[in-house]
Amino acid sequence: MTPGDTSQRNAFAEAPKPKRGRLSFFRITALWEAFLVAGASLRANKLRTALTLVGIVVGVAAVIAVVTIIQGLDNKVASTFSSQGSTVFSISKRPQIIRSREDFVKFNKRKNVTDEDAEAISRLCTSCWRVGVAANARETVKRGDQKMENFTMRGVTPTAMFDVDGRSLDVGRIWTEAEGSSGHEICVVGSDVVTNLFGGRSTDQVLGQEIKIAGRPFQILGVLEPLGSIFGASRDSVAYIPYSTYQKLYGARDSIVVMIQVSGAEQLEAAEDQVRTIMRNRRGHTAGSPDDDEGFSLETQDVFLDLYGKATSNIYLVTIGVAAISLVVGGIVVMNIMLVSVTERTKEIGIRKALGARRKDILTQFLIEAVAVTAIGGAIGVLTGFGLAYLIAALIGFPLLMSVGSAVLGVGVSSLVGIVSGLWPAWRAARLDPIEALRAE
Amino acid sequence: MSDATLTSPTAAAVLPGEAVGTHDAGSLISMREIWKTYQMGSEEVHALHGVSFDIPKGEYIAIIGPSGSGKSTLMNLIGCLDTPSKGEYWLNAKNVSEMDDDELARIRNQEVGFVFQTFNLLARATALHNVELPLIYGGVSSSQRREMAEKALSAVDLTDRMLHRPNELSGGQRQRVAIARALVNHPSILLADEPTGALDTHTSMEIMDLFERLHGEGNTIIVVTHEPDIAARAHRVISIRDGLIEKDEKIR
Repeated sequence: MTPGDTSQRNAFAEAPKPKRGRLSFFRITALWEAFLVAGASLRANKLRTALTLVGIVVGVAAVIAVVTIIQGLDNKVASTFSSQGSTVFSISKRPQIIRSREDFVKFNKRKNVTDEDAEAISRLCTSCWRVGVAANARETVKRGDQKMENFTMRGVTPTAMFDVDGRSLDVGRIWTEAEGSSGHEICVVGSDVVTNLFGGRSTDQVLGQEIKIAGRPFQILGVLEPLGSIFGASRDSVAYIPYSTYQKLYGARDSIVVMIQVSGAEQLEAAEDQVRTIMRNRRGHTAGSPDDDEGFSLETQDVFLDLYGKATSNIYLVTIGVAAISLVVGGIVVMNIMLVSVTERTKEIGIRKALGARRKDILTQFLIEAVAVTAIGGAIGVLTGFGLAYLIAALIGFPLLMSVGSAVLGVGVSSLVGIVSGLWPAWRAARLDPIEALRAE
Repeated sequence: MSDATLTSPTAAAVLPGEAVGTHDAGSLISMREIWKTYQMGSEEVHALHGVSFDIPKGEYIAIIGPSGSGKSTLMNLIGCLDTPSKGEYWLNAKNVSEMDDDELARIRNQEVGFVFQTFNLLARATALHNVELPLIYGGVSSSQRREMAEKALSAVDLTDRMLHRPNELSGGQRQRVAIARALVNHPSILLADEPTGALDTHTSMEIMDLFERLHGEGNTIIVVTHEPDIAARAHRVISIRDGLIEKDEKIR
């Protein structure tokens, strides 16, 4: 025997059995092989893989785009309303949202909310921190031949109302108490006034300048920090004037809004109860007849948030419906392709089984392949969705909030679709008789 | 455990009245009254009619017979791709006749090395990866796997073809990859089904020379064939006809 023979003998017949991995449900080595095979198979059939992905991509992209846009909006809405916070509520003649003509008629029959109401609340409500009065009017504002239509003029008192409204000064000052009760024609303006009527000038250059509101000259004392717009309406197209001046212009005929702020959110409920009781007494409302109109509207910002929430939840529902349909269709496509793949690779399955692959090894191999397809589809869908949201946001001017959560959810749900639709084809592959499978061409 | 001892071939052989004849206690393979019956519609077809034989470790044996003789059925049983309808099959002291699918898969992985007529290599995988496959399903770590596969390929003189795919190899080279794959896990038997059926005469002889060398190194080799030339290279020939052993003779 030659020395070469000896080494070959060692190589085979007499070599010790190799050390083996712990026997567990999944052999790590077989699992890794499954990943490699899945990757190779998807790469070998690029066009088929791409077509298989379409349904999943569309479904996930739709959800991601809508969720991203709505989350962006949510964020905007939340930050807009939180500038006032959950410590403020109001008493008014009419609620801010009126749902029917009957309601409108009913609300119009109510008595006006007056200074006396505000004064009574201020005096009697012990849980209230600050009580103020506000009245709004739509006016045209002019400077020379420049003018702005549909401009909000807000008469307020006391000056703490700036705080209650969540407004802060950029430059200049707010009127003093003395000026506030004097009826002088002075104002603090929103930044739109500077942009539209003093085009190009910096904010401090407009201090002391005059603008004409409702045909009367007003001196600018200060400019407010801009708040931006919500639902397309600018919140900076505004001028604050002392309530006394407002009364001088419009008289006391209009109903006012009483704004109440509590020092902390935990006092809100107690304050609302007190104010409601005070107002019911003043309107002569008798308890025990709940159908009767109270004669006033007590509102927090929740009314806006509720309305907004209802609108967006409908959009969510529709999107989830669309996504569910495309994911189901996508899942069926994946199942179909996997069945084809199993049939095509019957021989390969036979070889693997002859060499010692167990049912679960084959099952995992095809499951991983199905999940790989749908997870890739999900990932592409997430990217497409973000891209779409970005485009829409850029076009309409919404803020954009891309969340990791929705990306993870998108890939997760599509992987789940992969498991569900891959299970049956994989089970069929796993159950193939190795003899029959080896005979296949 | 005592049950297994009672029904083991060793115990069975000494029972009085046992008709299966003598058998070597050191047998690697022990077939006892093996029947294989297929249901064809309402008819029962017997592919094997109670076949018994023993194969000791280190033997080079050919199973020969015309098509339809039950030779392929017997090969599938020996290779643990199938289980008998009746009878007992002991392979390396394990009773495989009543194993379930996953146990059979494990036996195939550990005890049997297959060589097929059409090679049955994975077309998309390199020679090296093809040879690694049994180790993958055996749970061997990747570094050890690579080492073993390289050793097996060098033993069939394919060191310079390890990273080639099957379509870049000649028929003889492909069959040598298949032989390396069959032997890489150090199985108890090398089971070849018409190993030269797809090869020309010259290459066939090379492959048969390789088998002879592997036998010389201590491997147990079973070749299933219908070609007398190929069978003549073995040391013992079992002839199958109509599901029965027609002849069982030592020729060397």
